[in-house]
Amino acid sequence: MNARPVYLHGAATSVGWGDSRRSLTDMIFATVTDALRQSDAHMDAVDSVVIAAHDLIDGRSLSSMVTAPAAGSYLKDEMRVDEDGLVAASFAAARIEAGEARLSVVAAWGRASEGAPDSVSRVGFDPAFEKPLGLQELDISAVRLSAWLARYGDPGDSRAAATAARSMRAGRSPRALRVPSRDSVLAYPLRQAEGPKWADIVVAMIIGAAPSPVRVGGVGHATDLPRPGERDLVGMPALRQSAEMALRGSARGIDSIDLFEIDGMTLVEEALALESLGLAAPGHAFEHYALAENVNRAGGSAAAWCYPAMGLMRLAECFHQLSGTAGATQLDTAPRRAMAIGSSPLGAQTHTAVVLERA
Amino acid sequence: MSRRAAVVGVGQTQYRRRHSGRNTAELVREAVTAALTDAQMDLDAIGLVVGGVAPDALAGIDHVDMGSIARPGIPYFRVNTGGATGSSAFLAGLTWIAAGRCDAVLVVAVERMGHAVTAPKVFNSIFDPIYERDISLSTLSMVALRATMMIQKYGYTLEQWAHLAARNSELSLLNDTLESPRRFSAGDVLSSGVISWPIHKLEIGPVSEGACAMVIAAENRVGSRPAAWIRGASGLSDTYEMGSRISRAEGALVDVVTLRRCAAQAYRDAGVVDPAKEVDMVEIHAACASSESMGYAPLGICAPADGPRFLDSIVDGTARIAVNPSAGAQAANPVSATAMIRIAECALQIRGRAGRRQVDGIRLAVATGQGGATQFSTAVVLGAEPS
Repeated sequence: MNARPVYLHGAATSVGWGDSRRSLTDMIFATVTDALRQSDAHMDAVDSVVIAAHDLIDGRSLSSMVTAPAAGSYLKDEMRVDEDGLVAASFAAARIEAGEARLSVVAAWGRASEGAPDSVSRVGFDPAFEKPLGLQELDISAVRLSAWLARYGDPGDSRAAATAARSMRAGRSPRALRVPSRDSVLAYPLRQAEGPKWADIVVAMIIGAAPSPVRVGGVGHATDLPRPGERDLVGMPALRQSAEMALRGSARGIDSIDLFEIDGMTLVEEALALESLGLAAPGHAFEHYALAENVNRAGGSAAAWCYPAMGLMRLAECFHQLSGTAGATQLDTAPRRAMAIGSSPLGAQTHTAVVLERA
Repeated sequence: MSRRAAVVGVGQTQYRRRHSGRNTAELVREAVTAALTDAQMDLDAIGLVVGGVAPDALAGIDHVDMGSIARPGIPYFRVNTGGATGSSAFLAGLTWIAAGRCDAVLVVAVERMGHAVTAPKVFNSIFDPIYERDISLSTLSMVALRATMMIQKYGYTLEQWAHLAARNSELSLLNDTLESPRRFSAGDVLSSGVISWPIHKLEIGPVSEGACAMVIAAENRVGSRPAAWIRGASGLSDTYEMGSRISRAEGALVDVVTLRRCAAQAYRDAGVVDPAKEVDMVEIHAACASSESMGYAPLGICAPADGPRFLDSIVDGTARIAVNPSAGAQAANPVSATAMIRIAECALQIRGRAGRRQVDGIRLAVATGQGGATQFSTAVVLGAEPS
């Protein structure tokens, strides 16, 4: 697919909760600086900055006025997507494929401790038909699980096993939040341990045209129907379509992927994605999630979560695994190929998939 | 650019203070249908949709684009760079084509700010919460600060800007996308009251709603379609703090370093050596007359010190270059879409489809975009022929 190959040079992640000593811009600057250091790159060589940020999460009417300079955009060609961080990575890769840039910063963040992400998600619902119900983003996850349970029945112990496996993986991740944060009120039939670990997160990656040990194999994007009630919430067709597009770009089949890092606000999205991708048989999502060592090795949303940083965080985890720098979550045999999947509000209307491979 | 591409379709709703009887999706549908019809394409040909919506707070619905612009089955993402959102969405679509990811992109921007009862507060909250927000700095007082600097540095007068505003109001009568064009004299401007000195009420573009859509196609999909070829395109970002830009080595605040640099890059891509002699038309993204004049020199169509004289030549009709024949953002300023409209107007002129506002002989045109505290700039050069 790529006219010009795209390589990943480094990644840095900052995870915390309510640290009053550092502003959001302090966190962004420190994380981008760290990513440049990891990449042996200097800001002078950067000719592109792509960020993913959301005004209402950041508490400003135009977040990037203040946050983009902290990501290094001073007199640079900077673009802000109001999307998940994996879209920012895809767009930065497109700039390099097009020959418009040679070295790009990609950064995404969300600071859950400063805002009220649950409340923010409420204003995304249709003001006439949905908002009066008091719905929030997490409720879509509950409805998704209800639909799955209605279709396949109670999965028995496998749901608890998947929860435990996810928690264990998050517990060993060096990039997980280890202090208490905020609990969300989850709607039935979600269980508390299946929810996200709210966190303050900044992720930065450096990608470029110069060869490195990890490159982009393929990229895919797909869009679902706008209203959650109209969608196949269980089948998540946009997730499958984005993955298929990324695999076509890499000229590989899904069997060639050694690691999957999937963004989901709760365990439900992470597990049901495995059915959508064809990795788990219908009705066996939780069972597969519990047993698969190559799915969300860093614990997914149980480790840390705040939109819109998560797709980029998943990509960073793939990068660490492929480059052997994942720390305690490192697979015994470093994978050759990995797929990161990111999603948007509301209820993952759009999906982005990126295949990374060792060069 | 690694692949040649062109604008082959433009669609716009009417721009008015408030589209009370139509929801956002209906506005988008009208603009998109018109753009696809103009391009002689259907949605099956589109490989990416890029949405442009600026502050969510203005729309009153978070991610209003997801239910109005995003199209099931087609990759989609949204760009938000404040006032430059529309042109940034255009640049993003162009990148997708240049990367070879698809052959045709639909870019759409929509604005619903007429429904925001607190628009000034929304704009106030773009500023620093510690040092600036409490002094009620707004986008208009920001423009006023620059205007006073232009008076001091280059000798512009309030009367000149009043005449420019009146000239643009005259042009607005020819623009059929404006539901309620306003015609007024320089005297009317000067007696309209000061909003933030030296800015008078009638110099300022009105609150506006509406949608703009464009189809960008790779060269292999252009065929016999009337095309405005994208000869050069560039964007650049600056520091947020205006105080840090007042008189730095790269250029003063009112010299708009980002616009000057990205215009220079776009000209290089387009093979334009002397824009003052080669460019036929400019559409400058400026919601106030003073801001429009701030764009002349960075675009290379006059020297900085000649700005006031160049303004006079526009007003008296002796300027060689057509400046804002659409009447510009002073006639309609739907914030999310304004910068895209500037590109659309250039494309319409080059393709000979600008209706009553058509100017003869437009072969090379430049559109600008400005966002944030004049910190995000874009420049797009369109031509009747490919590079």
